[in-house]
Amino acid sequence: MGKSVLIVDDSNTMRKIVARSLRQAGFDFETILEAGDGQEALNVLDGNSVDIILSDINMPNMNGVEFLRKKAEDPAIAGIPVVMITTEAGSDILREALNLGAKGSVKKPFTPDQIQATLGDYV
Amino acid sequence: MDFAQCLSDGTREIFTTMLMADVAGGNPWDRSPEEFDRDLTSMVGMAGGCRGLVAIHCPKQVALGVTGFLLGMDVEDFGEDVFDAMGEFANMLAGIVKAELSARGLEVSLAIPSVVTGPDYSVDSSIEGENVALCFETDHGPFLVELQLEGSAVAA
Repeated sequence: MGKSVLIVDDSNTMRKIVARSLRQAGFDFETILEAGDGQEALNVLDGNSVDIILSDINMPNMNGVEFLRKKAEDPAIAGIPVVMITTEAGSDILREALNLGAKGSVKKPFTPDQIQATLGDYV
Repeated sequence: MDFAQCLSDGTREIFTTMLMADVAGGNPWDRSPEEFDRDLTSMVGMAGGCRGLVAIHCPKQVALGVTGFLLGMDVEDFGEDVFDAMGEFANMLAGIVKAELSARGLEVSLAIPSVVTGPDYSVDSSIEGENVALCFETDHGPFLVELQLEGSAVAA
């Protein structure tokens, strides 16, 4: 069975760029799921099997840090690795995300090579 | 690094990595952004250690071109795709400025991007301090990148 990825970002443009970059980086996901904020991501995870999550931090409704907190409370999805894709390089909120279990981060703007280097250990 | 250099390097980095398109120029724009021939402005506010604003002003053809590069498809008119893409462009540039401010000991948070379009509009802010504007050239025409920062950031 092919692998699946969930891309969480309030920008439709950024979700498309991340999906394109994954293909350019050589990842061959059978299913690419999308969500516009943390709450939508939880809803998607409720009905789908996901191998890895790529999430923005700054989002309306439920941001990336709150999403990590909620995800950690649900044993069914707590183990899915999350990589943050964000403008928040080196910031307190990114450190908080990493403390909450995010496996790594990719700074926007990014190249497919940077995506590959960060996700390679988890896919 | 001064803020003009930060804006210039950041804009080029975004074009190189995300748009995979050429950008030239980056010369100072000494006049008001209102004097630049623009149809759209995307902007991101900053608050916290200092207040600031990153804005991108561009004519319609540049906004359509930038959106097309970002999405990898032809875009023919203003719509949600263009507003979202230009907002994300401003957001990435604001993130680069935020990192520079952080290196100076100023932690700021970024607002959600907003976009203004129309035949005649102005963008006012109450930020007093440094105002940097640079004019770049693309295959679709020129665009302006602007940074407003209050005095505490300039002194840091």
